[in-house]
Amino acid sequence: MRNHFLLLTLNIFSATGGIEKVCRVAGKALFEKMTLDQQRLMIWSMHDKAEAAENNTYFPAELYRTFRGNKAAFVKAAVAQGAKSDTVILSHINLLMVAWMIKKIAPRTRIILMAHGIEIWNHANSVKSNMFRCVNNFWAVSEYTRQRIIASHGVAPEKISVLNNCLDPNLPLPKNILIPHGLHQRYGINEGDKIVFTLTRLSSKERYKGYDKVIAALKAMQRTDIKYIIAGKADAQETALIQEEIRQAGLQNQVILAGFLPDEELAAHFMMSDLYIMPSSKEGFGIVFIEAMYYGLPVIGGNADGTMDALLHGKLGTVVTPGNVNEIKDAMESLLSNREKYVPDHDSLMNHFGYESYKSKLEVLLH
Amino acid sequence: MCRIAGILSQQHPLQALQVSITNICAALQHGGPDDEGIWSDETAGLVLGHRRLSLLDLSSAGHQPMLYQDRYVISFNGEIYNFQQLRSELQQLGHQFRTQTDTEVILAAYEQWGTQSFARLEGMFAFALWDKTDQTLLLVRDRSGIKPLYYIHTADGIAFASETKVFQYLPQPPANNPNWPVLMLAYGHLPEPVTTYQHVVPLPKGFFLRYQQGHISLQSFGFYSFSSSEDTKATAAQNIAALLRTAVKNHLIADAPIGVFLSGGIDSGILFLLAAEQKKQGLNSLSLYFSEEKYSEKTYQDLLLQQVNCQRNQYKLEGNEFLETLPKILHDMDLPSCDGINTWFISKYAKEQGLKAVLSGIGADELLGGYPSFKRLKLAALVQQSPNLALGSKLIRGRKLSRLNYLQMEGISGLYLFLRGHFAPTDIAHQLGATEKEVWDILQSAPVLPDIQRLHPQNQASWMETNLYMQNQLLRDADVMSMAHGIEIRVPFLDHAFQSYCMSLGPAIKYDTALPKGLLIEAFKKELPEPVWNRPKMGFSFPFTEWFAESSFVKETMNEGSELQQKNYQQFLTGDLHWSQLLSLMIIQQQHPVYA
Repeated sequence: MRNHFLLLTLNIFSATGGIEKVCRVAGKALFEKMTLDQQRLMIWSMHDKAEAAENNTYFPAELYRTFRGNKAAFVKAAVAQGAKSDTVILSHINLLMVAWMIKKIAPRTRIILMAHGIEIWNHANSVKSNMFRCVNNFWAVSEYTRQRIIASHGVAPEKISVLNNCLDPNLPLPKNILIPHGLHQRYGINEGDKIVFTLTRLSSKERYKGYDKVIAALKAMQRTDIKYIIAGKADAQETALIQEEIRQAGLQNQVILAGFLPDEELAAHFMMSDLYIMPSSKEGFGIVFIEAMYYGLPVIGGNADGTMDALLHGKLGTVVTPGNVNEIKDAMESLLSNREKYVPDHDSLMNHFGYESYKSKLEVLLH
Repeated sequence: MCRIAGILSQQHPLQALQVSITNICAALQHGGPDDEGIWSDETAGLVLGHRRLSLLDLSSAGHQPMLYQDRYVISFNGEIYNFQQLRSELQQLGHQFRTQTDTEVILAAYEQWGTQSFARLEGMFAFALWDKTDQTLLLVRDRSGIKPLYYIHTADGIAFASETKVFQYLPQPPANNPNWPVLMLAYGHLPEPVTTYQHVVPLPKGFFLRYQQGHISLQSFGFYSFSSSEDTKATAAQNIAALLRTAVKNHLIADAPIGVFLSGGIDSGILFLLAAEQKKQGLNSLSLYFSEEKYSEKTYQDLLLQQVNCQRNQYKLEGNEFLETLPKILHDMDLPSCDGINTWFISKYAKEQGLKAVLSGIGADELLGGYPSFKRLKLAALVQQSPNLALGSKLIRGRKLSRLNYLQMEGISGLYLFLRGHFAPTDIAHQLGATEKEVWDILQSAPVLPDIQRLHPQNQASWMETNLYMQNQLLRDADVMSMAHGIEIRVPFLDHAFQSYCMSLGPAIKYDTALPKGLLIEAFKKELPEPVWNRPKMGFSFPFTEWFAESSFVKETMNEGSELQQKNYQQFLTGDLHWSQLLSLMIIQQQHPVYA
């Protein structure tokens, strides 16, 4: 049998992060490509819960297998299957060991590693760096990630291609989003208030997303008509810390920690906001930026990481130096005073980050 | 249900494209006797064609290709069973409708939800939708692949149609696919994506194709997968009964007369009884029976008919009529198939009764375990994985046993060909003057199917019967043979909610009964007369062996062929070749130079 493809992942459906989003969309794109080209595809997950793929809309569950956290069983089966495959795509650097073993048995199997961001830049482990040699191609989610791999791991530049993340084709069209009654009341938003929005995990271990700097900028702005909603799962330590920062800034009436938002509420939050901001310093790419822009929201992001790809170096959104409270403040003031001017160009967004465009790039890279 | 076609090309003058589509529409007239429409966009180099069989809004308002808001144009074949719900929803969103058709609902839904609208459509459909503003052509096919849609994409552009034969009328007809006879003899049909032409392929079910500025991309919008609900057997039987009742109700919506095929078996019997519940008056039943007693199911048909007050149409099909008609049936076939003759006759009678649509029981056997493969696949898979198989199969020479050879093939294709294969690889090589290696190479190259070994063996059988036998044989035969008479076949067992529910039931609930389709029987035990479900299994229910042997057409065709064909005919007469195998060899002789 010719052209067997194997996509190996950690989680696809049992977690909600950016990497899982990429895996779902990549799974769909590969399924569609393989159907057209008459090639065989398997999509495996190490950690997903049993039956996690049932009723998913990305690819048929027949293509999928999960090992429910049984690492040993996953590795054993993945090495055996990988050795029979023509191409193995790893969705995470933690699967590199599997690829290394596959390559020992089947040197002709093509290994592709998807590189997202911090998970790969910070891999200082020299054993792993040696293992990079078994990878034929790297797909980096941004030029920034690509440069970091070259710098940190000495990988030949020609081995690394950029495959930017894309919009999930299942996102409902902006015109079909209704902002539910009560959403404004939920956050105590008054007529005429401007809404600034950040969606991110609030983690005491990460602390690079820049929402603390936005709070500082907000304090400096001294405007009471701005409500700042920070949504996302938060750990207790970070919640306490950020609440303290809000209290010290005297912004208890303006900054709202909204907690985890279910997927079906996200679009309404984007639609009701005036500005999305996340002056982060360690984004691999930042899918949330393109999602916010898909719903017509002007965005502000950092200029020091993969965000630059997502914002097309400032063409689609405004870029600031992360940590520079003044710059953040100025950018917020400009955007809030003239929102229409900063609405991202929809056609340009779709041409660069639409699903169709992602698939075209994927096809070229697989060639 | 209708017939559609179209070409989008900048390489030929518009007039040449229009001539092509006019010829194609003329060739497709049988499937759309009520109206014809051709629509062109000169700047884009696009011509869309449509032959209409009208079932909803019989007025000229339903004319196609249909233009919507001066932006979208559609050529649509099929039925959307939930169109009234979608229509109300769209009305609430501010859409206004000019017609009572489902066609207009597809357009409004696309306007509202874009390509995400396709997942909301429940029914059988294949359509082409042109967006004048974006200069984009979309081809869309339902998620069970009930309606056919074939296309060819070349540097010239793209062309599509409901049948493959009409691609010969393109300005540049496609080249023949030299490999098809091998697959035909192995499968008894051509498995998707194979056709008799090179580069002419079906749009995969549940996919849409987008064509813009010479570039095509395919995207999936829906598929059926097995899942695992926790319903008990009793709940499952209740739900199945309720869902099928709703499905039948929705499938009866039409502004033209509609009937039910009644074979005498369980599936059509249930559909017939449910249709009778819905339609107290004016229900038409259609059945065939034979003077050859051993093939006749008339006893069971009569038992069912006794329960219901309906317009009975029972036809006695005689050998003479069959013999006279056989050449016409072969002519009406699109892609080669070793079956479908029964559908041709029953559709002919439906047409004579003035019906336009008929319900058929396709899908029940596949979803609920009606075939022997549900019992046999597990053992076959064990043999397939046995290391001694390759050695053993070399020693096997008998025709029946030589199908064991197919178990050397990996995966579900190998199992299918072992369980349902038409000719064994050695026989195919012999028939086509090829080497066995050449035959194996072609069989390995297509179709490429997913590895489904991980599924429960009975779900594997269900997947195999649904995606190979039903998809490539039953649904295709049903479509082409009914369309030959301008009749629409509707398949309530493939209703979206019903099929999704069946696929969500665990194998132990769905199949674990002493009787095939035990759960379906359980669900309708009160309604279905016991002799219909509790009776000895009948084999194939047409007396074709006798009739083929009497046919001068068959005799002449075979004797006009090569020496090998003449020998094949003798083998058929002595009982060493099945009638369906003979039929396949005749078709190859007619369409391929190998026996010339």
